Amino acid sequence: MPSIYSFFRYIPFVVEGTLWTISLVLGGLVIGFFIGLSLALVQSFGGERLKKMLNIYIWFFRGTPLLVLLSLFYWAVFPSLGLELSPLETSIAVLGMRSGAYQSQIFKDSINSVDYGQILAARSIGMSNRKLISYIVLPQALRISIPAWSNEYAVILKDSAICFALGVMEILTRVRYVSTATGLALLPYLFAGVLFFILTFAGTGVMDFVYRRAKIPGMLEGLR
Amino acid sequence: MGKILAFLLLGIVIGLAAGYLLVSSVTAPSQNKCLYEAGKFSGVPKKGEQVVVVYGFDANYPPFTVMQPNGTPIGFDVDVVNMIAKKYGWKIIYKPWDWSTIVTALEKGDLDIIASGMTITSARSQKIWFSIPYYSYVHQIVARRNDTRSLSKILNSGDYIAVQSGSTADEWADRLLKAGYKFKKLGLGSYTSALKALLDGRASAFITDSAFLGPYLKKNPDIENKVKVLGNLGAPYNYAIATRPQDKWLRDKINAALEELMDNPKWNELLKKWGLG
Repeated sequence: MPSIYSFFRYIPFVVEGTLWTISLVLGGLVIGFFIGLSLALVQSFGGERLKKMLNIYIWFFRGTPLLVLLSLFYWAVFPSLGLELSPLETSIAVLGMRSGAYQSQIFKDSINSVDYGQILAARSIGMSNRKLISYIVLPQALRISIPAWSNEYAVILKDSAICFALGVMEILTRVRYVSTATGLALLPYLFAGVLFFILTFAGTGVMDFVYRRAKIPGMLEGLR
Repeated sequence: MGKILAFLLLGIVIGLAAGYLLVSSVTAPSQNKCLYEAGKFSGVPKKGEQVVVVYGFDANYPPFTVMQPNGTPIGFDVDVVNMIAKKYGWKIIYKPWDWSTIVTALEKGDLDIIASGMTITSARSQKIWFSIPYYSYVHQIVARRNDTRSLSKILNSGDYIAVQSGSTADEWADRLLKAGYKFKKLGLGSYTSALKALLDGRASAFITDSAFLGPYLKKNPDIENKVKVLGNLGAPYNYAIATRPQDKWLRDKINAALEELMDNPKWNELLKKWGLG
């Protein structure tokens, strides 16, 4: 059998892939956050026609496999718009647009869970929509959304592995090469599993910390 | 509702027909016009300009292209490309790419050449043009050494036969199935994992090409003791370096360099170095 020691020399090469994975995930989450939040606000406060149009966007990105989206945007959509994006940039953009569709559902639900009486109260003292959203709705909705949002982090982290199709050198792409080079099937993939586990654990840990720091005592008790 | 749907369908059909007629009349090439627009390497580059060639490969194919721990590839094909580049003073940028989309990436310009154990096939030649061949191989069907059945028995046993999905071995499995043999195809991600499936007993046979199997068994003698080659399939196939059709200058240069390399006694040493001789 191929020696397992041959794998150890490849560990730095695989670990370097975490940088790529992290840039995919952070890029995707940040783009997704802004898209998702704007979509959710329009869905909660916007007009009917606008809502319907945005629903098409959400259904398209929620209903299409990531691999299809990556191929579509890399080979067809971006080139036809005259954008010369690298595989990494395309992957981040696609992960972001897709995550935006999912995050919009998270934010929509958290906006809906803000007590309607508060919105009525804000309106009755003559708050404009903008003030209502930024002073009453968002401070509560964003806090409520943190647990569901850290779940989105865990999902997009593992979805980012599909970007190997465009040759993005993230963890799993490298592991595939190492598996071939060393002739080992189990160990490299197991190692990748451990890396993903650590990343998930660390990321959700950070989100838990943010959740605890941002928590207002008594705010969510009324909901339960 | 039905009426609207019918009109919609009719509209789509008429639209498609009109579109097809329009496109086919516009894109039909005239006799005296070149089919391709000039590309990056169509003609001689300007004097003093550094030629930078983006070299695409899938590092999943020992001994032709394998990844090293420092992130650069090695292998027979990498050596060949480096020798060509050294002869002309080209700069090579190594770009790993997934095998399933590598042809499109070359067409689109993400890559300039592919040298990664790429077989010349008629389907690929419709899109990309090949250099002169530099290596030939045959397809082989392999079984476990302790399996005493004959080739035709295994092919008709209904057992799994492992191949790398999308490879020429995969095409061979389809051809055998079409010819009426009764087995199930097990498509896996790489040649190594397909061989592993045979060793694990998840498949009764494994279709491979001699270019992969020979060197791999030489490197892993304990595996060689566990398998046997049942027979060869069909005629030899050839590996060549792929370029975009319009990059004539680049292809001519590669062809000249390949001819010179293969005429040199050092070529045999290079083949031996990678266990291919």
